[in-house]
Amino acid sequence: MSAYLNTRVSLYAGRLWQAEYFDALLRVPDAEMASLLAQRGLPQLAAGYGNRDGSYDQLSLEQRIIAQTLDETRVLIRPLTGAERSFLIYWTARFEVSNVKTLLRGKMSGERPAALLARLTPMGSFGRLDNQALAHTEDVGELLRKLEAGPYAGIVRHARRAFEQSRDPFNLDAALDRGYYEGLAQRARPLETGSGPGLRTLMANLIDRINLVWLLRYRFNYNLPPAQVYFLLVDAHYTLTGARLRELAAQDSLDTVLAKLPQAMREQLVSVSDIPGVFARMESVAAERALKILHSGASTISRAFAYLILRERDLRYVRAVLRGRHLGLPGVDIRFALQRAPLTVM
Amino acid sequence: MFRAEPLLNIQLVMLASEAPDAALELARMGVFNPSAGMREAGPELLPEAPAERYREAWMEAETRMSKLLAQCGDVQDLSIPADAAAPSLTDLRELNAWLKEIWIACLACHEGEERIQEERKHLAALEETLSKIERLNVDLAQLLRGDSLLAVNIGSLPASGLKRVSDALSMTGTLVSQFDLVGDQVFAVIAGPRSRNDEVRGLLSQAGWRELPIPAVLRTHPQAARSWLDEESKRLEELSGAECKVMDGMRGIIGPRLNEARLRVELARPLAEAALVGVRGKGGLAAMTGWIPRRQLNALRAALQARFHGRYWLDAREPAPDEVAKVPSLVHYPGWLQPFVPLVKSYGVPRYGEFDPTLPFAFTYLLLFGAMFGDIGHGAVILLLAAALYRRVGGLAWIGMAAGASSMLFGLFYGSIFGYEDILAPVWLSPLHDPIRVLTLAVAFGVGFITLTLLVNTGNKISAGKVGEALFDSTGIAGLVFYLGAVGGVVSLTGAADLAQPAGALALIGIVTVAAFKWLETRAGWGERALVTAIETLETGINLFANTLSFMRVAAFSLNHVALALAIFTLANGLEAAGHGFTIVLGNVVIIVLEGGIVAIQALRLMYYEGFSRFFSGDGVEFAPLRLETRASKN
Repeated sequence: MSAYLNTRVSLYAGRLWQAEYFDALLRVPDAEMASLLAQRGLPQLAAGYGNRDGSYDQLSLEQRIIAQTLDETRVLIRPLTGAERSFLIYWTARFEVSNVKTLLRGKMSGERPAALLARLTPMGSFGRLDNQALAHTEDVGELLRKLEAGPYAGIVRHARRAFEQSRDPFNLDAALDRGYYEGLAQRARPLETGSGPGLRTLMANLIDRINLVWLLRYRFNYNLPPAQVYFLLVDAHYTLTGARLRELAAQDSLDTVLAKLPQAMREQLVSVSDIPGVFARMESVAAERALKILHSGASTISRAFAYLILRERDLRYVRAVLRGRHLGLPGVDIRFALQRAPLTVM
Repeated sequence: MFRAEPLLNIQLVMLASEAPDAALELARMGVFNPSAGMREAGPELLPEAPAERYREAWMEAETRMSKLLAQCGDVQDLSIPADAAAPSLTDLRELNAWLKEIWIACLACHEGEERIQEERKHLAALEETLSKIERLNVDLAQLLRGDSLLAVNIGSLPASGLKRVSDALSMTGTLVSQFDLVGDQVFAVIAGPRSRNDEVRGLLSQAGWRELPIPAVLRTHPQAARSWLDEESKRLEELSGAECKVMDGMRGIIGPRLNEARLRVELARPLAEAALVGVRGKGGLAAMTGWIPRRQLNALRAALQARFHGRYWLDAREPAPDEVAKVPSLVHYPGWLQPFVPLVKSYGVPRYGEFDPTLPFAFTYLLLFGAMFGDIGHGAVILLLAAALYRRVGGLAWIGMAAGASSMLFGLFYGSIFGYEDILAPVWLSPLHDPIRVLTLAVAFGVGFITLTLLVNTGNKISAGKVGEALFDSTGIAGLVFYLGAVGGVVSLTGAADLAQPAGALALIGIVTVAAFKWLETRAGWGERALVTAIETLETGINLFANTLSFMRVAAFSLNHVALALAIFTLANGLEAAGHGFTIVLGNVVIIVLEGGIVAIQALRLMYYEGFSRFFSGDGVEFAPLRLETRASKN
């Protein structure tokens, strides 16, 4: 099975986008968009352009991007069993956690169930929530109780307590995000010891980036006190340990935080002066490492995960280009946006 | 029974205000399967979705109704009066608003009860905690003084978050000291400089911290806690009783009206379900499209005429050739065949116009099971067990009983009873004594079976308008000609008949025709075309050969049955009387459970893979008419 998956990952690796593909996507006439996307291995996105002269609605684009990711993950997990399988399945769960957040926000604003349902990402066979029942709850309280009886009880229970104490939606979102990534790190831990350094490198790049960007955002955009910032970060065991994060959270400016980073990370972030820049630079370094792992003899699960990370990055860039075109932005602005991708995928 | 009933596509146009009643009428008749898309009037002609809001309101009302019924219980089957009309959108919205009001009140009671339960748990934990503080003899009044420099908080938080909270609080110079663990909750004292207490409280609210409500009386001395705790327990008991009374009162008030509301929600279901597939419209008109059995058209016209007196337009047409794959299949089965239907449907639903294999499946399955597991005694046990389980498993027991009877019949043919081969003389043959004949018969049966499947597939292709495939493909007439020629060749080789020349000619004609057809059908370059043709033609021969040999397992299992019995007798004969009897009984149980199970699966496998896969695409759509749901939900 590992030979099958290795071959499958190698075949998929050929679908990753080169820089010139994005240029082509910027230049292609609307009428040829569908065939270009299909040619570049994005049939789900191509379907959104069928017979519509290049027009699309933004929600459908988001849903198609996720559908594409889920389709490929479905193929990759087919030969996997046990912890490896549940790790990759959990990786897709962030889309469903995102649905949970949409549901919660919808309930807070009293949105109609039908409108709310239309905004949720279809999860296909990865879906574990009964969206119909959740969307038809009366309020946040009933919704949270229903969620607590479901597959995300572990994540939601904590979020509910935090929300009940403060009634602050920020606390809900923060607790859900933290709960999800802590769950991911927990599932990765047994695999990291058994599958060589590849998976640990990927996870370290992911969690360290999330922790650093969240830390900067909470500390300097939201002005939260250091102890609260530290509490909201993901509890993990990678380069940025708990002690290091406490030290960083206690700093008073972006520059001093960057100056206190471990040397290797500091070198990566030379000349970066703002939070989106930190994200973009760290993501770019992470992508280089993921690409190396993908083309190395690393364990199958590491290569599969590296592929999914890179693929998602590509899809995010494709989305940026398509949105930019839809809004009629000049190519130079869209190219600039590609250097400064969004802060999170959730 | 062999083919789906002929259907017509209808388009019903009516006043949008009468759409709920029209859908209700269709549901009453139970013959209309809604479908999406209108050939005659595309989205540009009927751009609106007039039933969308109706469906939305119904979904909300239905969800609330289900939750209320789950709370209230005592749900009876619904009786729908013949003259009942479907609610309008306004009615449905009013009903939904009422249901919302009721459900929110119910929810408040329910949540109140949940909160009381949580309070009780908390109180129990507090009692346990205070008993510990009692032993410490701590002066809580001193500890919790509001004007001291030290801010002290006593409370609980999830155990999983304790380390994180301790680490985070250490950044504010605050200490956390755990003094108890109850379930997944840690009870702790948190103490730090009062100047940073706001920061600490902000963090604690994110950590799910829950302050212990320590009343003033307790602060004087923990021993005073006992009476306070008793009072709190009593208060919660009373509160809980009050919540229960509210719930009971609500049931009394809403109960009668709830049944009426349930009826109205049910009457609204048909249009809401039709809207899921698509009800289109424009201005004051609404249009529904779907499928009905051809024989029901006149009855439908009559019913619509009686109800709407000409205020409708109904158009009916035959399915177009390019939409056959989307036409639902409606097949009527006699009662005795019904239990076999799920076994066929677990492979797939026959397409509209395809041969329905349920009847031949039932006969062949039973025949194969009996042939592989022929034993009067074992068959009788299966039959009796299935009969005993009839009440519990329903129609499935019928399959068990029929399989048992088939097994008994073949047991009679083989002269086998509980593995004993020498009590009864075989009526037909004994597999143990004539294995070659059994093998030959199994393969001959396979040839007949495969021939039948090829013929059925040819018929299916012709009815789907694919005459080329029916005549020239490997699973059509050309494949059959090749197959029969090849079988004739093998028969000649065994010396059973001299058919070499005509058989060879048939096989050659068949395989050349298949190859030519593959060549013409493949759309690719010359090299790829040659490769595809060569491989697919070769595959035709190999598949037919392998599928035929697959039927040797029928003989193998009939021999295996005897061999297993022999093994048990050999073991039993080495033991004394009690051991002998025990081994025979246990061995027979093992044969029935283990071998019986394997044979049941093998017979199914032969049907699915050697039979169905050859002629049955299984991707049809089941006919699902609009209906009224009158039975009480089991939830």
